[in-house]
Amino acid sequence: MTMTQKRRIHRLLQFALVVFGVYFGFILIFDVLLGQLIPRSLLTMYMVFVVSGALMAFTFTEEGAHELVAPIKALVEDPSRKRLRNAVFVIVPLLAGYYTYTSMSPGYEAPVELRTIHPAPPSKFKAYGKSYNLATLENPLRKYQKEGPAKYRELVKAGGDVYIKNCQHCHGDKLDGKGPYAAGLNPTPINFQDVGTIAQLQESFLFWRIATGGPGLPAEAAPWISSMPVWEHFLTEEETWEVILFMYDYTGRQPRSWK
Amino acid sequence: MNRRRMNKFAFLALCALFFAGTAAAKPGDTAKGKEIYDKRCTWCHGAEGDGAGAAKDMLNPPPRDFTSGNYKIKSSSFEDMAPNDDDIFRMIRDGMPGTSMPGWSDVLKEQDIWDLVAYVKTFAGYDEPPAAQVDFGTRIASSGESIAKGRKLYEEGDRCVECHGKSGKGSASKRLKGDAGERTWPRNLTKPWTFIGSSDPKDIFARLSTGIAGTEMPSFADPRSRKKLSIEERWHVANYVASLARTGRKVDAENTVIKADKVEGDLPGTPDDARWEKSTPSTFYLVPQLIAEERFFTPANDTLTVRALYNDKMIAMLLEWDDRTRSIPGDEAAEKLADAPIAEDGVAVQLPVTLPKGMEKPYFGMGDAKHAVNIWHWKSGAKGSTESIDLANSRGFREIEKRDAAGLKAKASYSDGTWKVLITRPLTTSSPDKDIQFTEGGFIPVAFAAWDGSNGEKGSKHTMTTWYWLLLKPATGTRPLVAALMIMGLFAGGLLWWARSAKPAA
Repeated sequence: MTMTQKRRIHRLLQFALVVFGVYFGFILIFDVLLGQLIPRSLLTMYMVFVVSGALMAFTFTEEGAHELVAPIKALVEDPSRKRLRNAVFVIVPLLAGYYTYTSMSPGYEAPVELRTIHPAPPSKFKAYGKSYNLATLENPLRKYQKEGPAKYRELVKAGGDVYIKNCQHCHGDKLDGKGPYAAGLNPTPINFQDVGTIAQLQESFLFWRIATGGPGLPAEAAPWISSMPVWEHFLTEEETWEVILFMYDYTGRQPRSWK
Repeated sequence: MNRRRMNKFAFLALCALFFAGTAAAKPGDTAKGKEIYDKRCTWCHGAEGDGAGAAKDMLNPPPRDFTSGNYKIKSSSFEDMAPNDDDIFRMIRDGMPGTSMPGWSDVLKEQDIWDLVAYVKTFAGYDEPPAAQVDFGTRIASSGESIAKGRKLYEEGDRCVECHGKSGKGSASKRLKGDAGERTWPRNLTKPWTFIGSSDPKDIFARLSTGIAGTEMPSFADPRSRKKLSIEERWHVANYVASLARTGRKVDAENTVIKADKVEGDLPGTPDDARWEKSTPSTFYLVPQLIAEERFFTPANDTLTVRALYNDKMIAMLLEWDDRTRSIPGDEAAEKLADAPIAEDGVAVQLPVTLPKGMEKPYFGMGDAKHAVNIWHWKSGAKGSTESIDLANSRGFREIEKRDAAGLKAKASYSDGTWKVLITRPLTTSSPDKDIQFTEGGFIPVAFAAWDGSNGEKGSKHTMTTWYWLLLKPATGTRPLVAALMIMGLFAGGLLWWARSAKPAA
C-alpha cells in the first residue's frame, strides 16, 4: 500500500510512456541516427511484441491490472465524465475505421531496395587483361610521395586532370558527390570528402572499384543500378593510380594500409 | 590632453575604416587569391584564366574564359564590361545552377572568396570598379496588369520571341553562338530553376538591362537598340518572364513511381487528348550517356515527363519533353538551326523482359548477359518519311536483337518547343519469353532515353535516366471501405455494450 502511495506516475500513463518511448526510440535509432529507414512492417511486428510484453508486465498482479484499467473503467462508468466519454466513443471507432481503410488500400510507394554500400571485395579480380590480388595490390606511384616530391606533384596534377575530365560530372569538382548530373542518379555518387569513404579504404579497393565499375560489384551491392562506368575501358592503369593519388591529396586524407 | 584627443580620433578613424571594410566588398589579396585559384579553379578555367583547363571540352557550357572580360551575370551597366566585385563574389559563393560551377561557400571562407575575386579580375585587367550601374528605378511589383503589359512587350516585333519562342521554351528560329564559338541555346524560360543568375524578377531585370556578355542576348537598356525598353517596361517583361514558370514540370526526387490509372473503355488516341491532364505526371532527370563509348558530354534535353494509362487490353504512355528544335534531317529550315549532320529526334522506353524476382534487375544500360530488356525506340522521321517506332531486345550495348514491332504503336506531336510522344502496346503479347507482360499492381522497372538530333545526338550520344518504376494502379474497389465501416460498427457497438453493461440503471 505504501508503495502505491509513493508512486507519482499513474500506471496507465506509465504503460503509455513505455510503449511510445520504445516506438520513438526505434525511429530515433534507425531513421535519425543510423539514417536507415526501418521498414514499417518490421516496426509493426516489434511493436506487437512490445505492447503484449508491457501488458503482461503491467498486469502481473491483480492490483496492478486493476489500477491499469481503473481510469478507463471510470471513464465509462462515471456519469460526470459523460461528455469526454461521448467524444471517445466517436473518435475511437473513427480511428479504427481509418486505420483499416488505409491498411487495406493498395500502396503506391516504391519498393524498398536494400543495398550494401561498401561490399566486401573479392580476393582476386580481373582488369586490363590480368588478374590482381587485392590483398597484396599497392599503388605503384605512392612511393613518390616520399621519394620524389616533384614527381609526386606531377602525378597528382595528372590525376586531377583525369578526375576533372571523367569523374566530376557525377562526383563533383569539390569531390563531394554533388556533380552536375548527381541528382539524376540513384544510387547517388559517393562523397569522397566524407570521412566514411576513401579514408576507410585501401588504394587497392579504389582501384578495384574504378577499374571494374558498377558492373563489377557483387550482387549484394546491386551492380545493375550503379552508374559507375567500367573505367578500364576509358582509362589506362597508370591513369587510374594517378586519379587515386589525386583523390587522397585533394581531400587531405590518407589511404588505409595493412601496416 | 591634446595627445589623448589625438589617440581617440585615430581610434575612431580606425573603427570607421574597419566597419567600412566589412559593409561592402572587402579588398581581396591577389596573391592569396592565386593560391586558391591554382588549387581549386585551374582544372576548368585553366592556369592562365583562359577557360582552357583540362575539362574544357567536357563541360556544358564550357568554362568561362576570364581573359575575355565577359561576365555573363553582372549588375554594372551594359556600357561597362567590368562587373562589380559583388557579382563575381556571388557566382563563386552560390555557383551557377545547370552548369558545372558549384557554390564554394562550404569550402571557402568569405575572405578567401574576396581574394579570389581580386585575382580573377586581373585576367581581364579590371583594376577599376565599373563606372556605371544598372538603373533599377522603382521596382514594379508583379500583378496581372504588369504581366499582361510584359507579355505584349515580349511578343511585340518578336522582341524576345525571336530566340525564346512564344511559349518561352527557347524554341529557336535562330542559331546562336557563344564567344568561344560554341553552339548555345536560348534559355528555356519556363524552367526558372535552370537560370544561372537566379530567377528573382530583380535578377531578370538586371539580365534584360545588361544583356548576357559573350552570348547573343543583347541589352534592352541600350538606347541605340531597336528593341530597347524603358525601366518601367523592363520591370513588366521581368514580371512576365517570372510568370512563365511551369513548376509542375520540376523533378520531385520523391516521385519515382509512374502511376498508371485504369480507364474504362478506350485509351486516349492522341498525345493532346484532354484526359492526359488528369493523369499524374512524373518528371525525371535526363543525364548524358557517360558509361559506354562513344560518351556524350553536351546534352540539350534535361528532363522527361511521363504519364501512363491502361485499360483491360492496352497500356498507353505519354512521354513529354522540351526540345528547342524539331530535327528533320533533309529539311532546310531544321538544318539551318543546327550543326550538320542533324539526326532525328528520338525517345526510348526500356523495360525488363521478365519481371525481376526480388530486387535484381537488368543492368540499367541496356540490360546484361543474364537479363534482357525490351527497348521501344521512337524516331521523329526525316524529310519525306514519317515517325517510326522500333522494338529491340538487348543484353548490353553490343547484343541487340531487332524485332518486329507489331503491336507497338506511336503517335507524336511537336508544338512550340515540346515533344509529346504517345506509345501504346497490348498488355500481353504472344511471346511472353521475349516481351514484358504487363500486370496490375506490380512494380515494373522502367528507364528512358532521349535524343536531340539538332544537338549532335545520335546512336550512343544521348541522354538517359536510371531505373524508375511503373505501376498499373489496380482499381481500389469497395473492399477497404466496406471493411472500414464494419470495423467502425464493431468498435462503436462494443463500446456501447460495455457502457450499458457496466452501468446498471442508476
